[in-house]
Amino acid sequence: MSANRWLTTGNYFTSYQDEQRIFSTRLDKLIFIGFIVCLFAWPLLIKLSNRNMLVLDTILIAIVAVLGLNLLTGFAGLISIGHAAFVGVGAYTVASIIRLIGDDHVLVTHAWPLVIIVAGLVGAVVGAFVGLPALRLRHLYLLMATLSFQIIFQWIINFSTFFNQGQTISVGRVFWFTGKIVRKQHYVFWYYVILVAIVLLGLGVRNLLRTRYGRSLVAVRDNDRAADAMGMHPGLTKVYAFGLAGFLAGIAGALHAYLYRGVGFESFTLHHSIVYLAMAIVGGMGTLSGSFWGPAAIQFLELRVEDLAEKAGHYFPSNMNLSTALRPLTFGLVIVLFLMFEPRGIANWWRIVRSYVKLWPFRY
Amino acid sequence: MKRTKMILFGVFSTALFLLIFTAQSALAKTYMIGSSLAITGPTSDAGSPYAKGMEDYCKFSNDMKLLGRDKVKCIIRDDAYKTATTKRNFEDFMDQEMVIYLNYSTGSTLGLKKDFEEEEIPVLPASYHAGNLTGSNYILLPSASYSEQAIGLAEYVARNHKGGTPRIALFLHPSAFGRGPLSDVKKAIKAGLKVNLVEVVEHGKDLDNTAMIKRLLKKKVQYVISQTVQSPVATVLKDAKRLGKIATKFGQKGKLTFLGAHYTGGNDLIALAGKASENYFWTTAFTLTSEQSAGTDAQLAMARKYGRDSKTANSHNYTSGIMVMQIAIEAIRRVKAKGMDVGKKSVYKELLQMNGFNAYYPLTTVGPVTFGKDDRAGVDSLQLYVVKKGVFKAVGSPFVSKYAKMIK
Repeated sequence: MSANRWLTTGNYFTSYQDEQRIFSTRLDKLIFIGFIVCLFAWPLLIKLSNRNMLVLDTILIAIVAVLGLNLLTGFAGLISIGHAAFVGVGAYTVASIIRLIGDDHVLVTHAWPLVIIVAGLVGAVVGAFVGLPALRLRHLYLLMATLSFQIIFQWIINFSTFFNQGQTISVGRVFWFTGKIVRKQHYVFWYYVILVAIVLLGLGVRNLLRTRYGRSLVAVRDNDRAADAMGMHPGLTKVYAFGLAGFLAGIAGALHAYLYRGVGFESFTLHHSIVYLAMAIVGGMGTLSGSFWGPAAIQFLELRVEDLAEKAGHYFPSNMNLSTALRPLTFGLVIVLFLMFEPRGIANWWRIVRSYVKLWPFRY
Repeated sequence: MKRTKMILFGVFSTALFLLIFTAQSALAKTYMIGSSLAITGPTSDAGSPYAKGMEDYCKFSNDMKLLGRDKVKCIIRDDAYKTATTKRNFEDFMDQEMVIYLNYSTGSTLGLKKDFEEEEIPVLPASYHAGNLTGSNYILLPSASYSEQAIGLAEYVARNHKGGTPRIALFLHPSAFGRGPLSDVKKAIKAGLKVNLVEVVEHGKDLDNTAMIKRLLKKKVQYVISQTVQSPVATVLKDAKRLGKIATKFGQKGKLTFLGAHYTGGNDLIALAGKASENYFWTTAFTLTSEQSAGTDAQLAMARKYGRDSKTANSHNYTSGIMVMQIAIEAIRRVKAKGMDVGKKSVYKELLQMNGFNAYYPLTTVGPVTFGKDDRAGVDSLQLYVVKKGVFKAVGSPFVSKYAKMIK
């Protein structure tokens, strides 16, 4: 290794511990800390509109959900097409509490961090339960099992009077040390909350992947028989992968409930499950950074397509029909193009950029 | 000397003209009306013509200078029936100082109810769900609610059925939109409405309803009142026709007479169900182009002016879209006429004064638009139509549901 840990160009791993470090150089760590500080500081300097803050918050929530999906599908190799239902479990945990004690109860308005964690835990339990078929099913059959969960979830919500038959269940405004979070502060406040959640969960997942539990996910994905022979428990690993994904999805669902101040079944349909999967694919399956890139890219794409359709509408009289065609077309096209030409997703571009910068000024 | 004077005069008058012109332009104001609709996705068959109606009337009001020098800027966005997108659109409009908001779906109207309250902005949704009004001050239904429509249809059945208490079934969309009238119909029956509610069916995506039709007939149901969209109704009608169980006249014994609320009918139903739609009874608060009137003539002329095809021009959803924009622009016009500043508060206040001698007659509806502190439904009157020889024809005069008023 270079004598100066600030100026190393390239990797100088001499042990497994070296290779498993979160930051390979001190510069990496400093850049990361600087980046996080910027993320926390910019809302104090720049004022975004409510609409843009909502978009940003929505992306951040999707990142939490896709982190879970990426653990499940990307790292553990267990295909799930019911991830929106897991997110829905988290949101409906908040809604259930509200149905029982009211949306202005102190538990909902003041102890909301606890409610969010409980939602994550409920998501984990449901996730582990839904993961039980993974002990016997693989590939397409497992996909069908998760699809069934999605359908069952939708059916239960839509027909159960307790869940207001899918109609919106309102969530009250929360309190912070500064008092009630009013409409003006709402989106910025939740930006910080979600950001904290992402930093903690992101570091948690990164750390998990360094441990034997994280590595066992990858081992089971690559060859579960070989993993079994090496002393891992493939069945348990699969169930706990579902549990982990359920936990992260549950957290995302609870955050969604608080951000949107309501829980309605329209936000957790099969379409949303497919969108989460698309985010994971476009971002990069089996990569941590892919969970960040994917939601941002898909949300950005959706907004741009909307703008394009609206602008085109000024030149074509029936802009609405154009919009009808543009949305599904671009969405489908992007997924197909990524699968064909960049199956490793945007995370691979990020990897290339990083390795170039890391080796600079040398080529290799 | 004279020439110099002439040049000076020319320069001065040109400068004065330019000054007056720019001052006038500067004084002219633009009011923003925001709208988020399901132009694509579920129910886009209704949302698309609805959006076109709104867009055309907005252009029309600017072209005809209905607000004098001032203009309306109508931003119509597609939310594809997704509440999250509706919320994003709403926030965007609020950032742009919208004066009135025109929403679409039941789900998003219920979902954003608290936001509307906090922002104190008047909202006209395309959803006539009575539940929109519960715990809300700022949501105003453009016409009588689905509950009033379903109860009104049940009243018509009770009045015209011969021999005992009529046995009815409700055929509902499996959502808040569909289930809306159920509890109110039950309340009306409790209050004395003489119908026997035998079964409530929440339809799925069935392609064949033979079992349901046979079951209803076995239970001696004679009337089916629908609160859903056109396609499931068309499927049931076609199945009933195939089985020979569709009534050829109202209340025919041993057969089913089908009736439905606003979103179940219209020309799209006739196109989907074909001959099976004959004798389908339908209620809405809107005028139809198949029944010529000053309002329908104006509607068709406007559709021609803005290059709409015949399907759009004759759609009752196009009419509904025009009507909500008419209400919004009329409220702005009245605020202006009183010399007040046009804003969300003044527009809301003006909407609530739209009653009595101030009621608004948009010509696109069968009755006047009236709002007040205790009246949050615009057009209270409903018109019953029936399909005869492939077109909807009016049955009797517009009516107001007696039992709906009673249970309020």
